[in-house]
Amino acid sequence: MKILYSWLKEHLPLELPAQDLAERLLQLGFEVSSLSTRGPAFTGVVAGHVLSVEKHPNADRLSLCVVEVDSEKYPVVCGAKNVAAGQTIALARVGAVLPGGFKITRSKIRGVESQGMICSRKELGLGEDVDGIWVMDPATAVGQDVAASLGESDQILEVEFTPNRSDCLSHLGLARELSAYFRIPLRQKPAPVVPPGAIPCGGFKVEVPQACPRYVGRSFEGLTIGPSPGWLAAKLESVGLRPINSLVDITNYLLMDMGQPLHAFDADKLEGGIMVRFAKPGEKIVALDEKEYALSERCLVIADQKKPVAIAGVMGGRDTGVTEKTRRAFLESAFFDPPTIRRSSQALRLKSDASHRFERGTDPESAWTTSLRATELILKLCGRDARSSEAVDCRAPATAPSPIRVTSGRINEILGSVFPADAVESSLRCICASLEKQGETMNFTAPSYRRDLATAWDLAEEVARLAGYENIPYRTAPMALAPSRALPAQTVADRTRRRLAGLGLCEAYNYDFISDKLAAQARLQMRLIRVKNPLSEEYANLRPSLLVGLLNNARLNLNNGAETVRLFEVGKIYIPSGAGVEESTHVAGLLLGPADKHWTSPRGRTLDFFDAKGVLSELLTGIQGLTWLPLSDAAAGQAPCDPLFHPRASLRLRLAQGALGTVGMLHPAVARAWDMDREQACLFQIDLDLLTQEEGPQAKFTPFSVFPQSSRDLSLLIDDTARYGDVLGTVHGAGIAELRDVELTDKFTGQGVPTGKQSLTVRLYFGLADRTLKDAEVTAAVERVLTELQRRHGAILRS
Amino acid sequence: MSPVTRAELESAYVKLSGPRTRESIASARTLAELEAVRVDALGRKSALTEILKGLKELTLEDKREFAPKIQALKAELEQLVGRRRAELESSADEASLQSLDLDLTLPAVTPPRGRLHPLTQTLEEMTRILSLMGFSWAEGPHIETERYNFEALNIPEHHAARDLQDTFYLQDVPLLLRTHTSPVQIRTMESVQPPLRVICPGRVFRHEAVDAAHSAVFHQIEGLAVDKGISFADLKGTLRTFLQSLFGSSTKTRFRPSYFPFTEPSAEVDVRCLVCGGSGCPACKRSGWIEIMGAGMVHPSVFAAVGYDPEVWSGFAFGVGVERVAILRLGVPDMRLFFENDLRFLRQFDENLI
Repeated sequence: MKILYSWLKEHLPLELPAQDLAERLLQLGFEVSSLSTRGPAFTGVVAGHVLSVEKHPNADRLSLCVVEVDSEKYPVVCGAKNVAAGQTIALARVGAVLPGGFKITRSKIRGVESQGMICSRKELGLGEDVDGIWVMDPATAVGQDVAASLGESDQILEVEFTPNRSDCLSHLGLARELSAYFRIPLRQKPAPVVPPGAIPCGGFKVEVPQACPRYVGRSFEGLTIGPSPGWLAAKLESVGLRPINSLVDITNYLLMDMGQPLHAFDADKLEGGIMVRFAKPGEKIVALDEKEYALSERCLVIADQKKPVAIAGVMGGRDTGVTEKTRRAFLESAFFDPPTIRRSSQALRLKSDASHRFERGTDPESAWTTSLRATELILKLCGRDARSSEAVDCRAPATAPSPIRVTSGRINEILGSVFPADAVESSLRCICASLEKQGETMNFTAPSYRRDLATAWDLAEEVARLAGYENIPYRTAPMALAPSRALPAQTVADRTRRRLAGLGLCEAYNYDFISDKLAAQARLQMRLIRVKNPLSEEYANLRPSLLVGLLNNARLNLNNGAETVRLFEVGKIYIPSGAGVEESTHVAGLLLGPADKHWTSPRGRTLDFFDAKGVLSELLTGIQGLTWLPLSDAAAGQAPCDPLFHPRASLRLRLAQGALGTVGMLHPAVARAWDMDREQACLFQIDLDLLTQEEGPQAKFTPFSVFPQSSRDLSLLIDDTARYGDVLGTVHGAGIAELRDVELTDKFTGQGVPTGKQSLTVRLYFGLADRTLKDAEVTAAVERVLTELQRRHGAILRS
Repeated sequence: MSPVTRAELESAYVKLSGPRTRESIASARTLAELEAVRVDALGRKSALTEILKGLKELTLEDKREFAPKIQALKAELEQLVGRRRAELESSADEASLQSLDLDLTLPAVTPPRGRLHPLTQTLEEMTRILSLMGFSWAEGPHIETERYNFEALNIPEHHAARDLQDTFYLQDVPLLLRTHTSPVQIRTMESVQPPLRVICPGRVFRHEAVDAAHSAVFHQIEGLAVDKGISFADLKGTLRTFLQSLFGSSTKTRFRPSYFPFTEPSAEVDVRCLVCGGSGCPACKRSGWIEIMGAGMVHPSVFAAVGYDPEVWSGFAFGVGVERVAILRLGVPDMRLFFENDLRFLRQFDENLI
């Protein structure tokens, strides 16, 4: 909220510079987001010398003055009593603009020409406490621009108030807070002087007292509504409000001054007495913002006998608003139930200065005092004939708040401070409505505007705030510790990250959102979890896979000139599950581009499926019972992301508990969608939650043989449809106890290999734990392997 | 055929101990030549080995006389071979040292190495410090209920405090994306009896337009300590220790009042600007301070919601943004860089450096 420093000073005699005030406000818990200086709200006003004053020929109360500025003489009609020859005054010449946008023009007043206006301080928005014209210091140079001579006259502080401190959302409210902080008493304004009611008050009825615990109404007649005086217009403009007309401006002024929202209806536009009720189905209203709102039964309204005339606590209706034509008005000053107003405001997506305060909670007492203050101003500013009724106060019975019982010892216990008891008490006395002592116990009653004070903890914060948080010591109490271990989920995620980074992949962080379009491009044709209020279409759903994010990242990096991309991400994915959502932690990776390419091996090679498979094998080292199945194998099962992968170039990883993940190349349509047809990206995604369930085995030492191993290379000629995995299975299945390991050392087709065949070279390692194998034993073992390979696969040794 | 008589052995010995063997050792020009000479003279099938084998055929007396001579000869020849080998090796080394001419200024060939994301690195550093301070780790779901995200945290429906955290809701189900990791604190307190110290790191979501300073997805670490007699002073001391561990032992901290529905009293925690040291610069908006954490004493309503008696237990809670800390430590100018995954960005941050 914008706070005009001079306005604040009307309530509290502050001397410190605005910059220092901003610092203090921060220490009180209110951030000042900007501090600006504001020059006078008028232009074209110069210092003039009054040469002569004569009585106006046609009007008793007016005088005809001649004012000299720079040897030019201006005839000016003036209504002030204190004008006299020889004075230096502020002359608004033709063309000058006064606060509120009021432009001075050449005019005739009661038949006499007037070329300007002699201004009061009030008319210039410089104060409201001076009657008559502003008699300036005689030393002021005639002709000097008044605005320029005043210089930077005022400061505006944009203060951010936390939602619990609605009581500070006015100049009076902030002054009250600072009064407690600085221990300076508020300037007490004289009580409003309001004559007894001269007319009857319009009827109204509160049908829902829970939603509207207090409603103060008052009627006015004989109004003359016009532009506001300069001081009022200038004040509103300084806090960012546009002056509209005197009556509306008064309500806005008091909102900013006292924090109580008011609303004035044009009584002649109301059809019958008004009532406070919830809207009926189908009701609509055009509000002051010229927009039509369809009201729901959750919206509290003010209605006359025919229609809603205001969205209670949020915004008035356009058609019953006060205009310059208004002669009779009805003024509302109410206290509404905060959640009720918030519900209406949210249902209609409509916020206002009034709803901002009502939904945070206003002061029920202020509904009465502000109505009085408003009446005083309306009678003063809205025409000589203005008359008012008595106020009618419709108030639901309220239970008196129970006092908070607290001791200074308890407050020091919460804070860990050592404030003396009398200091605690005197702080609390600065902010209480009443404080009674019973021995050590203080019975603290909060003022009606401090809805946030309810417990000893609240009072502890007040004491700390007023004393300054810096006056609470730093301490670290010893603390009973329970044994703590890292969570399995944390351990698995950490280990996964470290292993993959060690294997050359960089870690990516993507948003959890995905658009419909990208999901379709990735061929993820499943039901997605939709966000009800997404930021944009781009963020319409929660991701069912991490792979789309990595594809986007790969595209971005290729666009930026990267050749090799190795990325991974650990994150959550979201899958519909019954009526709810199942979220699980996965890791995904993407590899593409040249590998091992550098000056000693300039051609390098291209990362391919087997690199991705290798990364996964390393990642999953130590996982027991892992099987790899082609996606096309029925036993592989279905997974939501399958359509993204190339069906003939992808493998499913399975554990006994279920599918662990997938590794493979992209489906050509997906590759095309990301313009990566040529890159041959390989991707994988693994369910880490499944690994978390798996209790990780503690690594144990396995002894190795001290005797030398023997190895034999077998170059096999075999059908090119044979799968290496089957060949390997046959070798292992030959029942050779001495076989230690099998390694594929070469695979090729083409030159020297008959069509339809492939050459596979495998190296077999043999050994025993307790002795060296004899040559003949190795040879016999190889023979048995060869026999099996021949029998199962028709494999023969290449000559 | 082995010599078996003494005369035969003596004649073989004389032949062997003559100058020829010594000369051929001395004249070997390569290690290979030397090896051939050694095999010839001392190998398994050499004359010397034959003599040694023949020794056992002799009488005890002959053996006593003859064996030491043979052993001495063997030792001598072995020593000669060893000496010659050392000479040849030394000159071969010299040649190799002279001949090799590598251009060592050629670029290194580095194995591919990945990087942990800077946010992972930052988060790990923070959790490491807090772990040393006795906090254990808790996790919870991203998708939450109103109860855990708001109501149990003293943020009722239709309360203006909800404006502090704009929320993403899910379609068709009464669920939302958590706006803070505080729900994990509630879940922890529901399942564990105090005393406790726990941190809840993780990803959170706010309905905020994305720009250089805002992200709709970001990361937090929230902490919670509950015990008997914990006070606001403990909160101050603990957080100062944490911030000094994180930013350096001379880091200055400032606590000022604030408002969070789930803490009372509440505080914002600032650190002296790490860029200008407090004199005022654009990084701290000329204030000399940088807002870094929110904190406060756990609100009695929160304790009531999880069944802890607020008259017996007290505690403090705090939250710190991982991105915010990373930005300060790494000098990253734009939040969006963390989520673009440009390799030129990711490769800059090495876990040893931060």
